[in-house]
Amino acid sequence: MRLPRFEYVRPQALEEALSVLAQSGSRAKILAGGTDLLVNMKQRTVCPEVLVSIKTLSELLMVSSDAQGFTAIGSGANLTDLAANAGIAEKFPAFIQAVRAIASKHIRNMACIGGNVCLDTRCWYYNQSKLWRDARERCHRTGGSVCHAIKGAARCHAINSSDTAPVLVALDAKISVMKKGENRLIPARQFYCDDGIRNTILEPSAIVTAIHLPDGNGAGRSAFIKLSMRRGIDFALCSIAARANINGAGVTDVRLVLGSIASMPIVLEKAAQVIMEAGLTQSAIEKAGEVARTELGIITNLFTSAGYKRQLAGVLVKQALNELKGKTAKRGGAKA
Amino acid sequence: MKQILSLTVNNDTYEVAVSPWRTLLDVLRDDLGLMGTKRGCGSGTCGVCTVIIDGRAILSCLTLALECAGKSITTIEGISSPESLHPIQKSFIENGAVQCGFCTPGIVMTSKALLDEKPQPNDDEIKEALAGTFCRCTGHIKIMEAVKKASKQ
Repeated sequence: MRLPRFEYVRPQALEEALSVLAQSGSRAKILAGGTDLLVNMKQRTVCPEVLVSIKTLSELLMVSSDAQGFTAIGSGANLTDLAANAGIAEKFPAFIQAVRAIASKHIRNMACIGGNVCLDTRCWYYNQSKLWRDARERCHRTGGSVCHAIKGAARCHAINSSDTAPVLVALDAKISVMKKGENRLIPARQFYCDDGIRNTILEPSAIVTAIHLPDGNGAGRSAFIKLSMRRGIDFALCSIAARANINGAGVTDVRLVLGSIASMPIVLEKAAQVIMEAGLTQSAIEKAGEVARTELGIITNLFTSAGYKRQLAGVLVKQALNELKGKTAKRGGAKA
Repeated sequence: MKQILSLTVNNDTYEVAVSPWRTLLDVLRDDLGLMGTKRGCGSGTCGVCTVIIDGRAILSCLTLALECAGKSITTIEGISSPESLHPIQKSFIENGAVQCGFCTPGIVMTSKALLDEKPQPNDDEIKEALAGTFCRCTGHIKIMEAVKKASKQ
């Protein structure tokens, strides 16, 4: 597969990149690691006229602690470098577990965190060659009005397969988004949209410049588990990020977030409520797993049925809670 | 529009005129005639196009040639000569880790990047490094053994 033609621009500073993007609008795409974008371009699912390369912008490479109690990680931070960052791993183990679970070492050597946070959604029909897609009627995402993955679906249900997205939501991270003349800090939960076509609020002229992880008070514990068909290099069938503040027997601020199962990370409010009321007891963990199964309104798609996904969700909730409790959970298929 | 680019491959410097949409793999094979690096899936899954840039194994099929200016690129041609193979290549032959050989250059380069970084990797580290490569005929057990034996030399 060859890349389509495009114009290549390499700004020397962030401000210049924002200007170029402001002028080009939706004709342009941001190129950093390229491991997601260039594949999609080869498959002709996106065909930008202009690529704005931001790989070398030093403004996006900083990792630092700020005065508001956040650790800021520049969106250009390389995934292999992050995976080896012991300081961040100690403070945010679930985040680093998720980073280590992304794709393969080759891809992590090339890709950056901003790209995984903004990972394009995927679908078994859509992410194929143009020849393959052209053999069937156009779907919601390609300008038609049918869905080949879910029969009768009224909208695109392509899946957000980002491994770090559920962790960012679970940790109450904030995402720094810049466009020309504007700088916003958006809570991760509001950054993602339940839409297979436009799955983040990011405008074409905006750049994710950093993610901000709250340092917390030392009582926070977090866990991440990814379940995929292959351990080596694969998108998740389902992943879970869990977080809680644990002070003796008291458990507060429980978050259970599923990834790779819908167009956005799914926050399990009811299952988390069970733990906040009863603590991390064995019976509460069992109950939370059961509640998670019923809390999901997940639709069957081509490869996994709704029942299977509910089963996965229940099992992952229990495993993640056991891990928070400090137990050694048995992790089928999980790499991280 | 084509840009003139200076590429350092296996310690040789080449001046090439490339269009922005050409990948490093395209330029290595089509312009420089370095056919050892193979074209497989083209989408980052199989690892046969692996080369080493600045010490790390990367996929040349997903790297724009333009972005490689000023970097030190090593391909399979750069690690040995026909008269004296690299210890990893010898180990692959001695341990039967080669069958059709199409994936071998990518896996050898991936193994070299690993052993340069960690001369004595454990099984998990070898598996992690090789996860982004696929062999469809030998099977990965012999490849793992070959890497392990090469690490002991």
